[in-house]
Amino acid sequence: MLKLRGVVSKCFFLRRHISALYITGDKANENYVTLQPFLDFAGTFRDRAVLEQSIARRGLAIDLEEMLTKYATYQTHHEQLLRLEEERDAITKELKLLTKSGGSAAQLEELRARGKVLRNEVKALKQSLYPIEDDFIHDFLHLPNGLHSHCPQTNVEKLIYRHKTPPAVEQPRWHLDRKELVHFVDNNRYYMMEKAAHFDVDAMQALARYFVTHGDFVQTSNPDFVRCVLLEANATPLSQYHLVREEHLLNKLNTAYLTGGGAFESFLGTLTKLCVYPSVLPLRYVACGRSYNREEALAYGPTPSLYTATQTNAVQSLVATQTEADADAALEHVLNLAIDFYKSLDIPFRIVYVTAERLTPAESLRASIEVYAPSLKRYVCVGRISNYGDFVSKRILFSTRRDKHYDFLHLVGGPVLYTTRLIAALIELGVKLEASKLPGALQLGPSVQAMSQHQRDLQEFKDLFK
Amino acid sequence: MKLLTNVRKLLLRCRQSPTLRPMTRTKTTTTTQAHDAADEPALTSAQLDELEQNVQLRQHKNNVPRIRQLVEALRQGGQTQDVIRQQLAAELQQLPNATHPRLLAYDNQPLELANYKHRVLPQQGAKEFSELARALSLYRMEHLGNYTGHKSYYLTGQLAMLEQAIIQYALRSLTRHGFKLISVPDILPREIIESCGMRTEGERTQVYKLDTDQCLSGTSEMALAGFFANRQLMEWELPVKVAAVSRCYRAETSGLHEEKGIYRVHQFTKVEMFAIATPEQSEPMLEEFKNIEIDLFKQLGINFRLLDMPPCELGAPAYQKYDIEAWLPGRQMWGEISSCSNCTDYQAKRLNVKYNRARDAALIHAHTLNGTATAIPRLLIALVESYQSADSIQIPEVLVPFMNGQRTITKNKKIPETKLVKFIRSA
Repeated sequence: MLKLRGVVSKCFFLRRHISALYITGDKANENYVTLQPFLDFAGTFRDRAVLEQSIARRGLAIDLEEMLTKYATYQTHHEQLLRLEEERDAITKELKLLTKSGGSAAQLEELRARGKVLRNEVKALKQSLYPIEDDFIHDFLHLPNGLHSHCPQTNVEKLIYRHKTPPAVEQPRWHLDRKELVHFVDNNRYYMMEKAAHFDVDAMQALARYFVTHGDFVQTSNPDFVRCVLLEANATPLSQYHLVREEHLLNKLNTAYLTGGGAFESFLGTLTKLCVYPSVLPLRYVACGRSYNREEALAYGPTPSLYTATQTNAVQSLVATQTEADADAALEHVLNLAIDFYKSLDIPFRIVYVTAERLTPAESLRASIEVYAPSLKRYVCVGRISNYGDFVSKRILFSTRRDKHYDFLHLVGGPVLYTTRLIAALIELGVKLEASKLPGALQLGPSVQAMSQHQRDLQEFKDLFK
Repeated sequence: MKLLTNVRKLLLRCRQSPTLRPMTRTKTTTTTQAHDAADEPALTSAQLDELEQNVQLRQHKNNVPRIRQLVEALRQGGQTQDVIRQQLAAELQQLPNATHPRLLAYDNQPLELANYKHRVLPQQGAKEFSELARALSLYRMEHLGNYTGHKSYYLTGQLAMLEQAIIQYALRSLTRHGFKLISVPDILPREIIESCGMRTEGERTQVYKLDTDQCLSGTSEMALAGFFANRQLMEWELPVKVAAVSRCYRAETSGLHEEKGIYRVHQFTKVEMFAIATPEQSEPMLEEFKNIEIDLFKQLGINFRLLDMPPCELGAPAYQKYDIEAWLPGRQMWGEISSCSNCTDYQAKRLNVKYNRARDAALIHAHTLNGTATAIPRLLIALVESYQSADSIQIPEVLVPFMNGQRTITKNKKIPETKLVKFIRSA
């Protein structure tokens, strides 16, 4: 089922022949260009074997041979266009010189005529290049990132950390039976009450605080809508999020999607076209917010529950580094912070590197943080940290300046906590929903606590007379 | 009030028509009485006049002439009775709530009930939020429209932490006042939003719609109202006081200079209070909401005033409403940061929320109330502008425990400045 969904989403992604990320000149009148991705043809095709392996292990239906043929045609036309434009420039210069030095009318006329011919040739060539460009570059944008050396070679995920083994329970609890804690209507609509509701907010805040205080992260609060251009840049299947209908949409290709401020893609808006000083690197961001991924959770169906719900509170992380080695270290750093958090709950959880076929085309590696869900008798994902290399940065032009050229930054990140699924698992595992002992939990001074306790007592006293 | 009772009877009868409002019908817990011909509401012309007066007083769209036509058409009988009933029900749904009599003399101007001054603020020279926040790299709003949407914004560093601190501060206060926290959904069916008195159709709707035809909630009051829809409570359970932290989505836009920056945005976080009460409890409950709000802002040490809102500012559902406006020294203006309303049984009728009255076991529509504990963006404006100094911003004492003990907001050099490139030539 999961595989089928993966194939469907991949097909959906590949089927989209119109792109907000790359708009050719002939369409630029109706759909203005918001971003011109850096297209690294040389880097992508440098090691053909690596690219071929990445395509095959991800199970993508991409014919690299055909792609290279398209590239050759594109290159030929492009080089021809460059030559013509260079020639035009040379003629323009010559004309200027001749005009200044008083060249003969015949000479000038001959150059002007040649210029006109060249202009028409450039125009005609551009017209013929548009469909070639359209065809090739959209295919090129569908090419995946290379695979990280840690990504499993086989179709079996790689276990990298485990805490406790799953309990052997014949008839596990079902979290939706706890009516005083959860009122579930459908995948879009559920309510959590009492301790579940407090844990929902407090656990999210605690983990973000832990990242700030112990991981040197900068906290952010991000927007909830992300436009198509960024989802394409991140190679996110558009089917993952709800499309927002906008009354006055200026660019019909660049529609908005409801990702939530706790989604990875939501960070990309502030990084797009950003050029940072090396002194701020590694740049570490952590955000609290909602996440509304409607597709990801369906893996835990078919019975709708908190495991399959679209909406959740989330803690989202992002680290930008200058080098590949720094990115590897950042992924380990984020995972270690997450381990501290889940270990404190003392529940069965594990971290695995997922197989290549489960990665999005932008990811080179994904570590999935999974908590054991007794009712489903399987582990469910409550967080996932991915390494994107410089794949996404090249598309959104996120860079740092070194000497006189731009270095694209390596990105690592993803959600480290989905509260909704964690709460469901904690209920089923019989763990108290107490956030006060989590790493990063608020350590309030005695005065604040005493005041609260006093007022709580007073309230309880008043309640006696109701 | 008698007049409204008649209208409500009519509304009820129209609702019972099988073609009407599936949401209120499907899960009803046998609370509505069967319509009796003897109960036939007979709206007199004088009553319709009174109704029209209320509509005009509240500067609401006047659909009473249309209601008159439909009532007349019903009286005449004919074969299209069901269609007329349906149209009449739709028109009656659009009518605003009754208005508290004390507001009738307000002449469309709010009445300032109190003014709280906690800080000496400069008459001039105070900086505006966006200038302060940008200088300290705490916020970004520019050049984002093509990527994260119109009027989207990022809060960074201590300002993002302050958002979470305010949420926690408000939640602790509400918990102490006996509110129960509920996690609420932000994606809701259209019917629930309309039952709260919001329109989801038309050019000027404030409601965002998704590809699935569902809507994004504008305030958690909608999700909470949906939670209690079709419930039958016991009198001893009332008042039910709940709180929620939610993301609010509003499609409204504003080109006004004084509403620039994060003053009016499409998405923000809000801590909301909501209560279900008996008719006897609802007025004192509104006073409790108001007092909680005053206490929250007093402790934050900002300058603010309490307003009793006139009929034209009540919207459709409220019977009465208090607003709290903070003085924003950078903008040199008052800005609404909070409000609370008593909707009496306006929403409860639409959502079918009833309670079992203890003394006679009668099933009565409950009253609903809602109020803002803290709405983040405007409160951030008020705090940052009120607590500004030369190169830092002081953190209000009550928020310090939630800010890891930090007392000031200063520039964080780890946050990159917004230096954008236009284009990087491909290889």
